[in-house]
Parts: sequence; structure tokens; C-alpha cells
Amino acid sequence: MPKLQRRDYYDIARDMNWAFSYVGEDEVFPEELSKSFGIHGEQWWGWDEPYKLTYREYVHNQAGKDDGIYSIRSTIARSNLYDNLDAGWKSAIKAHYGAIPVPEYFASIGEARMARFGRAAAWRNMATFGTLDECRHGQAQIYFPYCLLGKDPQFDWAHKAMHTNEWGVIAARSLFDDMFTANDAVSTAIQLTFTFETGFTNLQFLGMASDALHVGDIEFGALISSIQTDEARHSQQGEPTLKIMINNGRKAEAQKMVDQMFWRSWKLFALLTGISMDYYTPLESRTMSFKEFMQDWICRQFMDQFKDLGMNVPWYWEEHFLPELDWVHHAYHMGVWFWRPTVWWNPDAGVSAAERDWLEQKYPGWNDRFGKLWDVIGDNVRTGQIEKTYPATLPIVCNCCHIPICSPSIGKAPRITTHNGRKLNFCCEVCEWVWKSQPERYDTHLSIVDRFLAGHIQPPTLEGALQYMGITPDVAGNDAQAYAWNGASRLAAE
Amino acid sequence: MALFPLQANFRGDFVVLLIPVDDGDDMSIVADKVAQHAVGLRVAEKSAPKCVYYNGRELPSSMTVAQSGIQPMDWIEVAYV
Ligand SMILES: [Fe+2]
Ligand SMILES: [Fe+2]
Repeated sequence: MPKLQRRDYYDIARDMNWAFSYVGEDEVFPEELSKSFGIHGEQWWGWDEPYKLTYREYVHNQAGKDDGIYSIRSTIARSNLYDNLDAGWKSAIKAHYGAIPVPEYFASIGEARMARFGRAAAWRNMATFGTLDECRHGQAQIYFPYCLLGKDPQFDWAHKAMHTNEWGVIAARSLFDDMFTANDAVSTAIQLTFTFETGFTNLQFLGMASDALHVGDIEFGALISSIQTDEARHSQQGEPTLKIMINNGRKAEAQKMVDQMFWRSWKLFALLTGISMDYYTPLESRTMSFKEFMQDWICRQFMDQFKDLGMNVPWYWEEHFLPELDWVHHAYHMGVWFWRPTVWWNPDAGVSAAERDWLEQKYPGWNDRFGKLWDVIGDNVRTGQIEKTYPATLPIVCNCCHIPICSPSIGKAPRITTHNGRKLNFCCEVCEWVWKSQPERYDTHLSIVDRFLAGHIQPPTLEGALQYMGITPDVAGNDAQAYAWNGASRLAAE
Repeated sequence: MALFPLQANFRGDFVVLLIPVDDGDDMSIVADKVAQHAVGLRVAEKSAPKCVYYNGRELPSSMTVAQSGIQPMDWIEVAYV
């Protein structure tokens, strides 16, 4: 039997919508799972995307991509590439592997929800590919670190992290649950595929890939570049969804969803990517500073695309977001390093004399704000008072971003408010705005400090907290360079 | 005498900390308890007296937590004078 030409069947297979007569629209697309924003039926049918793949083409392409990355992996397995990588860089990839692979599976749940409850057939078709993409990302990014387990037990956290209550994991899971694991189809398209994937994942998957090539980590570079080719395709679900909302008078609702998720994503990327780029990547391999990546890819490229659609920069842009570009990840870095037994990688202080010069050049004022504090830490390392470089209490954590509340300047108070008698702490006005914009979504969730005060963490000590977080002695983080950044001998440090 | 959790930071440090004090502690003890987690660890030590700020005002060093009106998990700042 002769095969049909692609053009003869393609649109019927890809984009066949119909009006329901036996059931109501709200039964097919329940609001909790799909959320119409008051836009109904045929108003969604013009939804379109540029890739227009068939399933056969999809499978062919994806098999080729997997052949590529898995053959690189098996070639590199016979070399000593990993052993020769910089210790700080190894920490960057361990942080990535704990934070990203299992949430790829969460993302596949979000994609599958759009594949069923997306409001146009072309969209559901694209989301089906997205569901499969995210499974591939989960599988590959668990398999690659699994292969490194024999070299280092910290890679176990590629699988374990998301199943624990480690503090950074609580922050990541809270964001990912909000954005896609527990989100309706239309909001997922705006918040995951537009805000997060069109904007932020470029930073971790392209920015870190370019750093990986400079470092010589061909394996990690190839893996995440391959993943990014899928992200580039399935992120295209965001813009058509956004256009339909704008064209149907729902611009304000869409703007709010972007503003909320842009902020939440920013905080997590400052923690993960900010530290990796500006402190863990060896100085000679840094392509750009984190701030420069943000300015180029987020402030310029992503925001230009957003404004071209008739949308506005988020309300907090000038007053809150741009100022945070200068300081927030430096504070997070110091916190992660000081509380290093609470993470599954070895934080690289990244403050040798040459690195400090680079930091001061990229972030004028760094020495005065953060260098001074590192001076005290460095003195304690040099004089063998290593016990003074460890914490003896918990930091206060923001009830929205779940990251410790840090301060840009001297004497700035955290934001403390109450909701139905519950005391809440926020790191900034924007986190407070996000939380208060949907209290019913967030108010049963306890931060790690709330849990500590409620007696969930026993015994109420640092040891008890490590146990609660699932951290075992073989993975608890320590200084990546054995304090060599300070010119101190390994002996003095121990 | 009862355990009393506060959020506090030492001026110049980068992070807000959970600091358990006792409601019978006076402000000089509270200042020391906060300093213990920051001074000489990240904030450079000085030979100067310290004081506690709450709601924008400086509290007398002999005032106790119970007398001060500070509520559990309120925020205070400690600084060298
Ligand atoms: Fe993905
Ligand atoms: Fe926050």
C-alpha cells in the first residue's frame, strides 16, 4: 500500500479539534487541571507552534541524540577525564545533578498534564513530545552521575536529593511543585515553558555547557547541550499560549503569572547557577560572569521577546531585581560555604587573591561587602581555628523562596508579617507579594525553620538537622580545595 | 525563665540567624548570644561595647527580654556602638 505523503495527513494528525456535544467543555477540561481563564472552545484552536514534527521524525531525532551522548559517555568512561577535572567544577556538576534530574521527571508530569488538558490539539501533540523529552532528561542525567558513583559517593544524590528534606531541595521542590508538578495546563505553559524554559534554563544548560567546554568536561557539556535542543523545542508551547491569552483580553492574568514565576525562578538560579559560574568554575574557564549571562540572556534577549509580545517587564524590575543581580548570589555562596556540611557537594570558596580581583572587577564593591567577611574566615583557617568556620545555628529561611534571608546592606530588616495568626518571614518585598498573591496555595507549607521550631527535627541540634536532611557523613560537604585558596596547608585546615 | 527564639543578625554580617535566648536574659547577654554566631566568625572583632536594636530603637543593656516587649521570632539587630 502506498504511504500517504506527509502533507496529506500531517495536520489531521497534529491539529484535529472538534466541538463537544455529548459532554460539556468543563468535563473535558476541568478548571483545576486546565484553567480556561474564561477563554473557551474554539478560541484556543488557532494555537500553533513552529516545529511541526511527526512522531516518526521525533523518534528518529531523539534516537540520534541519545546515540550521540551515550557514545560520548562510553568513550569517556575509558579515560581519566573526570579525575583531572577541577575540584570546584566537580562541585558544580554535583549540585546540578542533585537539583535537576529528578525534577525532569516532575516536568514530565507537567508536560503530560498539558498533553491531556491543553486546550488545542496542536498543543497536546507538542506536549506529548515534551513528556517524552523530560523522561529522556531524567534518565540521562541519572545515568551519567550513576557511572561516576564509583569515583565519588556524592553522586548518589543525583537520585537521592529530591527524596530528602535537605534545605536546598525543599527550596527547589517548592518551586518545581508550584510551577509544574501541581499546576494546571494553561498556567504550566505560561510559567514552565515560557518563563522558565524560554528564559532561565538557557543559563544552566547553555551557559554551563559553554563553561564545561572550557573546563574540558566534554561529557557534561555534551549531555546538557543535547538536553537543551529538546528544551528549545518544547518551550515553544509558551508563546502561543501567551498570545491566545493576550488576544482574548487576559494580558493582566498572564503578566501576573510571569511575574510570579520569574521571581521564584530567579532566586533558585541565583543559588544554583550563580554560585556555579562565579565561584565553582575555575577562573581561567569562566566565559562570562553570572551577572553578564543574566544581563545578556535574561535582561536583553528574553525580555525583548517578552516585550515584543506586548508584555511589560515585571513590576519589581528596577527596584528589586536589577539590584539583586549585584549581590544576592554572593550572599548565597557564603551561606552555602559556611553551612557546607548541609549540602551534597564540596563548596569551593573561590576567593583566592586572583579570584577576588576578578570578583571586585565584575562586581565593584564586592571586597567591601563580602571580601571583609571572607578575610575573617581566612584568618581562622590560617590560624587553625577551623571550628570557627562552621555554623552552630540555622539561618532564618524565607517562606516563599525557602532560601536563607540574606542582606544586601547593613541594617536592612527582613519582612515579617502574619497570615491567619501564623508568623511568616520573607527575604524581600517580592517574595512576600508572590506568597500573598495566592496564600491558599502556600499556607500549609512549612519552611525548614518552621519545622525546627515545631519540633519536627530531633534532636534539635546541627546533627539532628543533618539527619533530618538525609545528609550522611560520606556525602556531607567540605571545602572543595582543602582550603588551598587561603594558602593554608592541608594540615592546618584539618 | 523560658527558651525564647529570636531572629537576629549582627550588623555587617550577611545573613539572619535563628538565635535561642532566655526571656530572663538582659540585652547585654542577648548581644553576646548573637555575637557568638557572627563575630570572629565572619564579622571582625572590635573592642567596643555592643547593643541591641529593636524596632529601630536601642534597648538598654540591663533590660530583659521579658521587659522589652520583644515577641518570639521577632527580629533584632546587634551592633558595635
Ligand atoms: Fe528538561
Ligand atoms: Fe524569598
